[in-house]
Amino acid sequence: MKAAGLLIGIGFGFVLGWSRLTDYDVIRDMLLLRKFDVFLLMGSAVATAAIVARVLRAGGARSLIGRVPIAWSTTRPTRNHFVGSMIFGTGWAISGTCPGPVAAQLGRGQFAAIFTLAGIFVGVALFGYLKRRNEIAASAPRAPDLVGPTPGL
Amino acid sequence: MDLFANPCPWYVAGPLLGLLVAGLLWAINKPLGALGGYIDTVQWVGERNAAPSWRVLLLAGIVIGGALSAVAAGAYRPTLSYGTFTSSFGAIPGAGSVVLLAAGTLIGYGARLGGGCTSGHGMCGMAMGSPASIVCTMTFMGGAIVVAHLLAFLIGVGS
Repeated sequence: MKAAGLLIGIGFGFVLGWSRLTDYDVIRDMLLLRKFDVFLLMGSAVATAAIVARVLRAGGARSLIGRVPIAWSTTRPTRNHFVGSMIFGTGWAISGTCPGPVAAQLGRGQFAAIFTLAGIFVGVALFGYLKRRNEIAASAPRAPDLVGPTPGL
Repeated sequence: MDLFANPCPWYVAGPLLGLLVAGLLWAINKPLGALGGYIDTVQWVGERNAAPSWRVLLLAGIVIGGALSAVAAGAYRPTLSYGTFTSSFGAIPGAGSVVLLAAGTLIGYGARLGGGCTSGHGMCGMAMGSPASIVCTMTFMGGAIVVAHLLAFLIGVGS
């Protein structure tokens, strides 16, 4: 599993760098709708992955590691998907990068990536911290409801 | 090599990225997404003695692959410049790096809340036809296009 992750990651980072998705100006020109090749790039990536994944599933292929049948599940959209993606899109537009390309930027020696990467880790850790805190608060025993006049009023 | 010195055109890079998404599915039957590498790295750092997950190695691989792309182009030149970003937002290190840190925090928190990023939702989830991924991709694409135009109007990004 780890070797597969590393190898696919190397391929992914190489193509991101080679196609210049690591350049601020490329992403800026895409989002300002001046150039459309990044949209075409993403569309052709989705189409290729969709076709190959369905061929694998329909052909009854099993994973090379683990020998499990190739399958996936889908998710229904929720409010969090919408709100989170709005926040993510804002950060993407400002920085001109996102979690994949920023790692490739670091590899290419674009050290601006250090700050964006640090921010992503802060955001991910902050989300985890707030989630845990809310879970603890939700599971904590609640004080019994007060009967009669509320003290202090 | 000239092949790697010139930018890879979209009709080569797109299908290659799609094959990598499908390749990971075939290899280990898992969805590809860069965000997972960050989540697992935070968890790995928090738990001492735990081994890094495959998603941590995927993220590390992207860094290595990025480095190889620069080396293959004969253009590995470490730099603090970041295109026209610095003329809009300030120098790095300096005001520009504070902006990147803040934008990164929005990226990390937002992607975590939304359950994925451009690779996880935009490529992999879209390819698998997940309704949540379609909503997320339309939302962050549309949102980012609006914010980019606001930045162009307010502070002259791209002018």
